[in-house]
Amino acid sequence: MELMFFFETLISGLMAGVMYSLVALGFVLIFKASGVFNFSQGVLCLFAALALFDFISEDGWVYALFGFALPVWLGILLTVVVMIGVAWLIERLVLRHLVNQDPIILFMATIGLAYVLEGAGDILFGSDVKPLDIGLPQGASDYLLDTYGLYIEKLEVVAAITAAVLVAVLAVFFQKTRIGRALRAVADDHQAALSVGISLNAIWVIVWSVAGIVALVAGIMWGSKSGVQFSLSLIALKALPVLILGGFTSVPGAIIGGLIIGVGEKLAEIYAGPLVGGALENWFAYMLALVFLLFRPQGLFGERIIERV
Amino acid sequence: MKPVGTSGLDTFPKLLLEHAQKRGSRPAYREKDLGIWQTWTWSQTQKEIAQLSAGLVSLGLRRGDAVAIVGDNRPHLYWAIVAAQAVGGLPVPLYQDSVAEEMIHVLNNADVRFAIVEDQEQADKMLEVKDRCPQLEFVVYENTRGMRHYDQPFLFQFQDVQRQGASYLQAHPDFFETEAAKGSGADTAILLYTSGTTGLPKGVALSFDNLIFSGELGRTFDFLTDEEETLAYLPMAWVGDNVFSIAQAYVCGFCVNCPESPETVLTDLREIGPTYYFAPPSVYERMLTQVMIRIEDAGSTKRWLFNTFMKVARRCGTDILDGNPVSPLDRLLYALGELTIYGPLKNVLGLSRIRVAYTAGEAIGPELFAFFRALGINIKQLYGQTEASVFICAQPNGQVRSDTVGPPLPGIEVRIDDSGEVFYRSPGVFLHYHKNPESTAKTKSPDNWVATGDAGFFDHEGHLKIIDRVKDVGRMNDGSLFAPKYVENKLKFFAFIKHAVVFGDGRDYATAFINIDLNAVGNWAERNGLAYSGYTDLSARQEVYKLIQECVESVNADLARDEKLRSSQIARFLLLHKELDADDGELTRTSKVRRNVVDERYGTLINALYDPAQKRCQIESLITFEDGRKGTLKADLSICDCKRVTEPLKDAA
Amino acid sequence: MSNHRRAIGDTLLSVEHISLSFGGVKALTDISLSVRKHEIFSIIGPNGAGKTSMLNVINGFYHPQEGAIVFRGTHRKRMRPHEAAKQGIARTFQNVALFKGMSTLDNIMSGRLLKMHRNIFWQALHLGPAREEELAHRRKVEEIIDFLEIQAIRKIPVGRLPYGLQKRVELGRALAMEPDLLLLDEPMAGMNLEEKQDMCRFILDISEEYGTTMVLIEHDMGVVMDISDRVAVLDYGRKIADGPPDEVRSNQEVIDAYLGVSHD
Repeated sequence: MELMFFFETLISGLMAGVMYSLVALGFVLIFKASGVFNFSQGVLCLFAALALFDFISEDGWVYALFGFALPVWLGILLTVVVMIGVAWLIERLVLRHLVNQDPIILFMATIGLAYVLEGAGDILFGSDVKPLDIGLPQGASDYLLDTYGLYIEKLEVVAAITAAVLVAVLAVFFQKTRIGRALRAVADDHQAALSVGISLNAIWVIVWSVAGIVALVAGIMWGSKSGVQFSLSLIALKALPVLILGGFTSVPGAIIGGLIIGVGEKLAEIYAGPLVGGALENWFAYMLALVFLLFRPQGLFGERIIERV
Repeated sequence: MKPVGTSGLDTFPKLLLEHAQKRGSRPAYREKDLGIWQTWTWSQTQKEIAQLSAGLVSLGLRRGDAVAIVGDNRPHLYWAIVAAQAVGGLPVPLYQDSVAEEMIHVLNNADVRFAIVEDQEQADKMLEVKDRCPQLEFVVYENTRGMRHYDQPFLFQFQDVQRQGASYLQAHPDFFETEAAKGSGADTAILLYTSGTTGLPKGVALSFDNLIFSGELGRTFDFLTDEEETLAYLPMAWVGDNVFSIAQAYVCGFCVNCPESPETVLTDLREIGPTYYFAPPSVYERMLTQVMIRIEDAGSTKRWLFNTFMKVARRCGTDILDGNPVSPLDRLLYALGELTIYGPLKNVLGLSRIRVAYTAGEAIGPELFAFFRALGINIKQLYGQTEASVFICAQPNGQVRSDTVGPPLPGIEVRIDDSGEVFYRSPGVFLHYHKNPESTAKTKSPDNWVATGDAGFFDHEGHLKIIDRVKDVGRMNDGSLFAPKYVENKLKFFAFIKHAVVFGDGRDYATAFINIDLNAVGNWAERNGLAYSGYTDLSARQEVYKLIQECVESVNADLARDEKLRSSQIARFLLLHKELDADDGELTRTSKVRRNVVDERYGTLINALYDPAQKRCQIESLITFEDGRKGTLKADLSICDCKRVTEPLKDAA
Repeated sequence: MSNHRRAIGDTLLSVEHISLSFGGVKALTDISLSVRKHEIFSIIGPNGAGKTSMLNVINGFYHPQEGAIVFRGTHRKRMRPHEAAKQGIARTFQNVALFKGMSTLDNIMSGRLLKMHRNIFWQALHLGPAREEELAHRRKVEEIIDFLEIQAIRKIPVGRLPYGLQKRVELGRALAMEPDLLLLDEPMAGMNLEEKQDMCRFILDISEEYGTTMVLIEHDMGVVMDISDRVAVLDYGRKIADGPPDEVRSNQEVIDAYLGVSHD
């Protein structure tokens, strides 16, 4: 029975890890393509989830205005459109004016952006907790419970599968397509990318749109799990240690980093928590990140930092 | 010796026809072009060559015309050689990196009428010298790059010539076969110019019989088959390439691969993975350095694995390669090493499929040699020269030593005269030097013995050991041989020793000047916590003397094992306070020591070495700084006495 | 088939009364130039004469306050860099702008980006028409690699290459775009004599084989004079001479700019 319990902890850790990974993925995409640490990624999740809620819920705007809620698929589609619109606006209003500035300036800009988006979300969609239900299965998997006696949330299984599909699609997109090539080129050298005819503006819109879509997926998962609320934007803070672990530029790193943190904090809470009086789950990730910063600052999969004279 | 070409296949054109028929769809040539390996089968090759032959004849090639071949190793140029041979032409490959001026002598000496060249670079050379080479009438180039605006009437493009040949062949379908049948084994197959140390290059005329004899040796001595893959990357004008990439390829029917460009050889090697390979020691040395650098950069786990398994390989790798008994545990460890280290390493180097690899030309360091053999790569040494169609001695599988070149090959006789000079007689012995009967008579006796100019002797196993050029070998006062280069090479095999100059001719004992290698000794000093301010300081340290003394004494122990050379053991040495330098005239530009300059400049030091009472010696010497300024350097050098092995030689047999 | 370098044709690019300033500092003052098809046109001048600014104006990195650019008959006041690339203008940079982490092959391949047309779906699956297209592009790139004699570094990340070779790779990437106009910003800067000669040969070969029109900028007068059809000289942001090399060489103002009053 003890072993069963261990497995349960392990698996639920993995599932939580997938959630972290989803958020971290959005960071990696933008960092890879533009070298910008996008502080507003968490808020993008919140924003996407709020938008979706308003399209499909009976408590949402659409229902209030037209007396009916949109079907889920249409709602998701429209939210994607909204996220692309947001990306376009961000490029137009913010990034375009900051070309060739230091990364720190761009980072500050994304902090500002986070507050703007949060405020806009608040005004547009309200600030109360909203239960997001797009028909994802809820509760424990009966099959696993009956057969193996394991208690696993169905939603978490769905999240894991979604994340896997998303990563596969992104990998193909990055490696094989023309746009993917262009993205890698921009990430490497702006001037060179311009000279071969890549439009930086277009690339930024694409990257932020993709990050927006990833945010939407993450938002759906987290929203379905614990409702759409302001604290959703704070999961960005949890994504930070994930990135430090996995490396800022690596998609697989984001996934594995997320899983390690997810499993690590669950196991630490259960097995080491009682020793230190509990609540280990809240700071375990940061401690692990600190250790990594000391011994392997480039992360597990990041590019090795070699300073050349 | 059994007659070659049992069914009358005594020339390359005839062998070509045979292969086209027997193994028409097997690959004969490969070349990487635009990033892709292109293959020509034997029957395609026959077609290409026939078209070129016919094209050359329609241009005006007559039997007996000399055809110069100039360029990097390309299938087209190999075809040109056989195409010329087929219609009675005499191919004369030239070193492709010679400047135009240097080519004039060869072009005129051989009366070259046709030149088949690779590209614009070589075509330009021909244009430059054409006025001074009145016999040169036609220049055929292969690569059209940059040739667009050349409009000289005597310039032809390779494929155009082939097209012309193709239409000629349509009218005369039996042309190639009939022409090929006219040749015979005794005909001159090729003229190879050797750059003698003095005077103008001499054209060595080799017959088909000569070359096919060497080709047959590949089959009978090294068991080469038509499945071999080789990489042709050494100059086509060198006799070795003519034997390895033409004679042996045509006798055995295997595939010759041409690199994409001279710079890509290492990559191409990896992609082809040859089964039969030749390289001078310097190439192996470069490979080893490359490996060592990678290992230095690798993580600690990898480094540990490498070091551990290399120890295993050094212990038992050579024995496994030679089929000697090895304990089951070592076999297991070696197999594990093959899986984790040796296999991947050989793969990276492109040596994983090697069955036979040769090295020759210079002495190869025992460490270097052992490294590759321990990995399970069958490197062997051979001794040969142009006049012998390469082969004189070679090491049979299983009898490989780092300091001998093996016994004489089957069919070859070798004798050594009183002065120590090596002579040989074989079916591979050249016909004559082109238009140079005096030199021919000086080198080759009427009964076909050829003088090599090398000094050597047979060891107790009957393996030949080459020690130096005859003219450099001296005598010590006790009458024994003194071969300075042999001893110097042995010293230089130690990484700590950069240069060595050994004295002993007409003396009672041998002594040496030694230049330490600043990198290697500097590294050693760092590891041992020895602080030093520079080359002079480091060279004067007693610790360094001690280090070098160990090297010298191990060379002494080695020399003592040879009855003939044991008197050459170094009795005393000193470490020079400055590096011998080409700018000071002490070295040639190719880093060879100029003995006469050294003798003259450091006479006081030599005298001190031969005055047993002197333990130190002062010297003032001229030195050129990096920026060209000159200055004098004063130093006080100590002299170190070394142990010599004096007890009588145990009977090694 | 012509036996000589392609005949120089009509005007391909003309720059009309360009003035450019940063803040109050004038970088270029009322400059007009015209470059004809198949021509090798050099812009020379002492350091800080405004040569690179001129190039940046032509390919859209800078937008001049006054003047216009006419390229292939189309009149433009301003153009953005990626638009310039689409119009058929390729360039190299003084300090080499390559994708350092990518191999030589991928770098040159990136020059083909604009020429890839198949949609994302096919590309992603790496099937059908996209595969054929990819192979065609790869072939073109291999021809350039062969042309520039850089087979040996095909798979090496360019960040690890010596400077001279990086310049060659950058030239390769520009060639892969099959441009009508090639802008070369100090292609020989920082090279030794042998590398410079190689680069000259490549430039002449490009002109001969591909007929590409080239505008090149050089600091050092000697090298370009031999290979240029026409030369313009800038000094302090003004054009002081323009014409065939021999004419320019003997121009008194040019001699003064180079020898008399040095500024740096």
